[in-house]
Amino acid sequence: MQDFKIILFLCNWGPHVAFQTLQEQRADIPPEIKMVRIPCSGRITKALLFKPFEMGADGVLLLGCHPGACRYGTGTDAASENTAETRQILDLMGLDARRLQLGTFLPDQPQALLAFLKEFTGRIRQLGKSPISAPAAAQPQESEQSLEAIMSAHDVFACQDCGKCTSACSLALAGKSFSPRFVASEIIAGRADRPEVRAAVHACLTCGTCYERCPSAVNFPEFIKAMRIYYHGRTLSSAPAHGGFFQSMMRAMTAEELVPRRWEDLPENIRVRKESPILFFGGCAAYFDIFFHKYLGAQTRQILEDSLRLLNFFDVEPMVLPNERCCGHDLLWSGDRANFLRLARLNAQAIAASGAQEVITACPECFHTLGQEYVRHGVTLPVKVTHIHEYLEREIGKGAVAFKPLEAKVTFQDACRQSRFNGQSQLPRKLLKQMLGNGGQAAAEEAVTVCCGNSAWTGCDAYSKRMQVLRLERAKQAGSELMITACPKCQIHLRCAMDDVLRGEELQLEMMDLTSVIARSIYWA
Amino acid sequence: MYKQITITGFGGQGVVLAGKILGQAAAIEDKLESTLVQSYGPESRGGACSAQVTIADGPIYFPYIQNPDILVCMSQSGYDKQYPTIKKEGVLVIDQDLVKPVDEREHFAIPCTRFAEELGNKMMANIIMIGFFTAITGVVTQEAARNTVQGSVPKGTEQKNLKAFDRGWEFAQATLKGRRHKAAGQVGVVA
Repeated sequence: MQDFKIILFLCNWGPHVAFQTLQEQRADIPPEIKMVRIPCSGRITKALLFKPFEMGADGVLLLGCHPGACRYGTGTDAASENTAETRQILDLMGLDARRLQLGTFLPDQPQALLAFLKEFTGRIRQLGKSPISAPAAAQPQESEQSLEAIMSAHDVFACQDCGKCTSACSLALAGKSFSPRFVASEIIAGRADRPEVRAAVHACLTCGTCYERCPSAVNFPEFIKAMRIYYHGRTLSSAPAHGGFFQSMMRAMTAEELVPRRWEDLPENIRVRKESPILFFGGCAAYFDIFFHKYLGAQTRQILEDSLRLLNFFDVEPMVLPNERCCGHDLLWSGDRANFLRLARLNAQAIAASGAQEVITACPECFHTLGQEYVRHGVTLPVKVTHIHEYLEREIGKGAVAFKPLEAKVTFQDACRQSRFNGQSQLPRKLLKQMLGNGGQAAAEEAVTVCCGNSAWTGCDAYSKRMQVLRLERAKQAGSELMITACPKCQIHLRCAMDDVLRGEELQLEMMDLTSVIARSIYWA
Repeated sequence: MYKQITITGFGGQGVVLAGKILGQAAAIEDKLESTLVQSYGPESRGGACSAQVTIADGPIYFPYIQNPDILVCMSQSGYDKQYPTIKKEGVLVIDQDLVKPVDEREHFAIPCTRFAEELGNKMMANIIMIGFFTAITGVVTQEAARNTVQGSVPKGTEQKNLKAFDRGWEFAQATLKGRRHKAAGQVGVVA
């Protein structure tokens, strides 16, 4: 019984007085409860609410002041929004939402508080241990590479110091003093552990433009990935974006006992089957929508539903993995190779057990990770991995379909994992041409676009914002009315720039994923 | 089964070869009976030309066709000439880029010349049409038609021609799929 762990975030003001009264009365506060005193319940972000679960807590309580009694005005409102959204995510990933609760108390309500604590503890005892167990302290990294090995594996010595990378680098173009060449030469010179080198390695967007330009073909993104793994082994990772929520969530998903509840609320008119040769792998869009709901009104889940509808349209009833986990892309690219491997193995097992022959995905990161990274890291996936664009291009090519005309001038935003890493920049352009006829010619002839400003939820800063603003401004200057994207994260990042309080208005541009645009316009001719 | 098929087009489009492949597929591969009457003479220098194929599971006593069950038109002049003869319940198949139908009669259409150009040689339009025809009508089996195509085309072009056959076959499958969906009221993705 004693080994249940409940974390109580306790607001300094109202509820703390009540809690202190209980302590003075030597009331029987359940021993499972570990209290953390905080300045205001509104300051506990979703990332902080989730973090205890990643670390093995069985329940989390957030106690704030009574609505209207918040010393800072909006604390309680923020707390209730954060709690509600985190609860939704807990439910989706298979941790019971009832493991997290918000309570609000006045200073003179100690008895009500005690009853609340007892009730919550009773519930946790009933729900049992969390499927996520505490991570073993400081696990040694599997087969860690030395700096020399990393440099020779990626042939960094081939760098000619020509500077083409820096002149093409999206970050450098946005004005940041960042240079791939500098990073390479510093690490070659044995100064990898200097803080500015480390910061630069974590600031890289890994968009791959430098690799395209490099005359010595040094695969800089792969090098950066290896360096991040190297730093991670030394617990020198930089602080990730969004308080590290997504990395936390992904690490929590490595728990084998956890059974996520994806796909439970699919609309009825989407047909999926229990067994099918084709498996649709969705990715994390559903989590993003909950997390960003308040700020961006992101609707990236729509991409998954539209993909499934398109498969149905072509008479394919795929199956989905009810316990689908994150593919691990962001963990790998933020340096956490050990947990990436755990996710990879669990997914590979689940996919192999499903009996599918082909995995179709609409996310360029899932596509790249399942198709390339798994096997590179020794996890074999016994199936063919296809991006939905490739499937659509094939089916549309067979003919007998037509598209409703799109009355907007469009511009296309490339996804780095598709257009650069997999060299498939022509694929979405071909679809644009098929869909828009001559109207799509202009969009299809645009060069591969700059990065959306971020990747793997790390290193977001003012320069990311500047890149996004520039991209949107240019699109608007060119008269574009609709930006077609290929990655849910591009949508989130570019929408974030549009949310700017001062410049948001002038940056507004309609945005839709390519798959969704096709789903809205295709019909049987 | 007793099917009378007329294929029309310009001379040089491979209309007669298409007829020959169909008849041969039925007789040799599918073990049916078939006859072929081909127009010859000045047509092979251009102008409307035609092949009349009869396929049956019993003896065929008369090879000429007055009113076809299936009419395949690969040119406007062939269509203009033959269209009035098609049976009331007959099936009409056209190259949609080369033939403009005069009325609203239901028909199957394929841009086979355009596809052939995309595949690199417009001489393969007839093979694409055979693939399409086979899937739509089912008069001969896919295997029979495919094997016969392989054996009838010039040496060294087999793979290209089989690809052309498959192109027509796949387009037919997509067309049929589309018709099924439309009949069920599912025209678009988001209804």
